[in-house]
Amino acid sequence: MPYEALDFYDVDSLLTEEERMVRDMVRDFVDQDVIPNIEHACREGVFPDEWRVTLGEMGVLGAPLEGYGCPGLSYTAYGVICRELERGDSGLRSFASVQGSLAMYPIWDFGSEEQKQNYLPKMASGEWIGCFGLTEPDYGSNPGDMITKAEDMGDHYLLNGAKMWITNGTIAQLAVVWAKLDGVIRGFIVEKDDPGFSAPEMKGKHSLKASVTSELVFQDCKIPKDRILPGVKGLRGPFSCLNNARYGISWGAVGAAQACFDSAKEYSLSRIQFTHPIASYQLVQNKLAWMLREITKAQLLAYHLGQKKDAGTWIPEHISLAKMNNVDIALEIAREARDIHGANGILDEYCIMRHMANLESVKTYEGTHDIHNLIIGRHITGIQSFTREL
Amino acid sequence: MTIAVLLKQVPDTTAKITVSNGRVDENAVSKWSFSPYDEYALEAALQLKESMGGELVAITAGPARCEKLLRDAAAVGADNLVHISAENINDFDSTQMQKLLAAAVEKSGSSVVFCGKQAADTNSGSTGPGVAELIGASCITMVSEVISDSGGYLATRPSSSGHEKVAVSAPCVFAFDKGVVEMRRPNVRGIMMAKKKPIETWSIEELGLDLGTSGISIDSHSPPAEKPPGQKFEGADSVSTVVGKLRDEANVI
Ligand SMILES: Cc1cc2nc3c(=O)[nH]c(=O)nc-3n(C[C@H](O)[C@H](O)[C@H](O)COP(=O)(O)OP(=O)(O)OC[C@H]3O[C@@H](n4cnc5c(N)ncnc54)[C@H](O)[C@@H]3O)c2cc1C
Repeated sequence: MPYEALDFYDVDSLLTEEERMVRDMVRDFVDQDVIPNIEHACREGVFPDEWRVTLGEMGVLGAPLEGYGCPGLSYTAYGVICRELERGDSGLRSFASVQGSLAMYPIWDFGSEEQKQNYLPKMASGEWIGCFGLTEPDYGSNPGDMITKAEDMGDHYLLNGAKMWITNGTIAQLAVVWAKLDGVIRGFIVEKDDPGFSAPEMKGKHSLKASVTSELVFQDCKIPKDRILPGVKGLRGPFSCLNNARYGISWGAVGAAQACFDSAKEYSLSRIQFTHPIASYQLVQNKLAWMLREITKAQLLAYHLGQKKDAGTWIPEHISLAKMNNVDIALEIAREARDIHGANGILDEYCIMRHMANLESVKTYEGTHDIHNLIIGRHITGIQSFTREL
Repeated sequence: MTIAVLLKQVPDTTAKITVSNGRVDENAVSKWSFSPYDEYALEAALQLKESMGGELVAITAGPARCEKLLRDAAAVGADNLVHISAENINDFDSTQMQKLLAAAVEKSGSSVVFCGKQAADTNSGSTGPGVAELIGASCITMVSEVISDSGGYLATRPSSSGHEKVAVSAPCVFAFDKGVVEMRRPNVRGIMMAKKKPIETWSIEELGLDLGTSGISIDSHSPPAEKPPGQKFEGADSVSTVVGKLRDEANVI
């Protein structure tokens, strides 16, 4: 059965013609190149290099950025791209999120003219892969306390420390690394071959298996002076990247949920138990109706947030709400879909269990579900509750 | 040199077709797409253009919804877009359609024409030969590949020995079967350029045509017959019955 994207309220009719064409292009890529190969990629634990090449050829990397060879699409189009990619696999969407929002974006917004000219065109084309090093083994939800530090040695910087859970790390030519220089968080561009830098892969993941996750290790890593991002100081740097990536995730989660719904619907119509299709039983219909309800709400949330991103009328709390809600419902939908598939739901013949396992990571990265609750809680009450030091 | 590609928008092969009051209900078609053989024709035409230069004009006839098809063609590389606007395309017979397309081909100044061997909805298979006849061009059917060759073209098509390469010079029409290369995927740059490309809309009057009245009319459409329900056999006793049915009814053993 060809994939049918649930769009109960015809939300996609609100997209521009250009956005719909971009959607069809990415959907075609996912149908043709991703779905037939994703289980193999997961089993091998690799991100297929051909996907990098095709993403570059399609011209979707760094979608909403303009100039320097970047696509210059709307934020809404960027969202649609994330949704279609994540319908294939969250690992694929992670690759694009990290490349565009976490590695290209900080160079585009905070980099020097030379840095932009040097790195952005080859990142937009997919020739160079980027990664984003913020999380450390002991500092996840509170990156502000990070220990990785940079020292000004006069004619170069010296980096020391370690990052963990870094998507694309081992396969990247470039890392945007956040480290403290005289106690202030700054962004640095580290290249693969810089002395004292290594990026060993983390193995054994049960989630995002088709995405490469790595440690970044800096042992007296020496980088030239012109690799500091001049345009930003403090947590605002990494957080502005995260805002864009989280926005993309709010769309991406809809794609994963749509894939699970589609599979559950088809399965329930064809699976006969007690002489009738299980889709004919009220309990199953209740689950499908609930999925449709949550997907429709999530679509509207993502679309409206896209409009706000494009109009520049958004606040970070809007993004927190959409990321948190949409990943949450996608994960619940994956679980319900698994239930509807019965034992078949655990097989890699169906996309369900893969999406479910992937979404566990998505729920945690880019601000855990509860960290987003705290962000919204602070917005409502004016009282931060991240730490006890009030 | 100008290469024309004739493209027809048809219900997507995955779209559900409903027939009401003896007519296909077009409003119920959820997705419209390129007719699949036209995609091969378009890809082959793009490759020919890339190998020898020139311009590629995409021509379609039909109601306003067909503009999407032209935008999609532009996104993969069509230079000029022509929409022969005709709301009532289903009222035309094949000969009238050929007259329309032939006039547009002539107006576009094209000497080489690519099209599909048949459209996925009507399947009449007469457009290529019919247009060729009207514009006085050679016609090669069932083509899978075209390359430029010493001032002319070399087209690959099936023959009794497998394949044959047919040499032809312009003016000529290539009616495509499944080609050797699938239609390329667009990219963002192509899509953004497609948005800016003007679509020339030509009316039947502007083409200076008198289509006359058709000698034929379609009486009614009907959906394909429902598949008969499957038969179920259980137990070792039914082996000989099943083997018999597989041999005599299904003809698979
Ligand atoms: C597959 C994968 C890829 C990743 N890719 C990247 C990457 O490319 N770059 C990068 O920098 N990072 C990346 N991360 C790291 C990710 O951002 C962190 O895992 C995330 O920020 C959470 O940090 P943590 O795992 O240390 O969990 P912790 O911060 O230890 O949280 C554990 C639990 O405690 C809760 N918690 C924490 N603080 C509070 C509080 N104040 N109040 C209430 N509850 C609290 C959390 O909600 C969570 O439930 C990735 C993670 C994964 C799994």
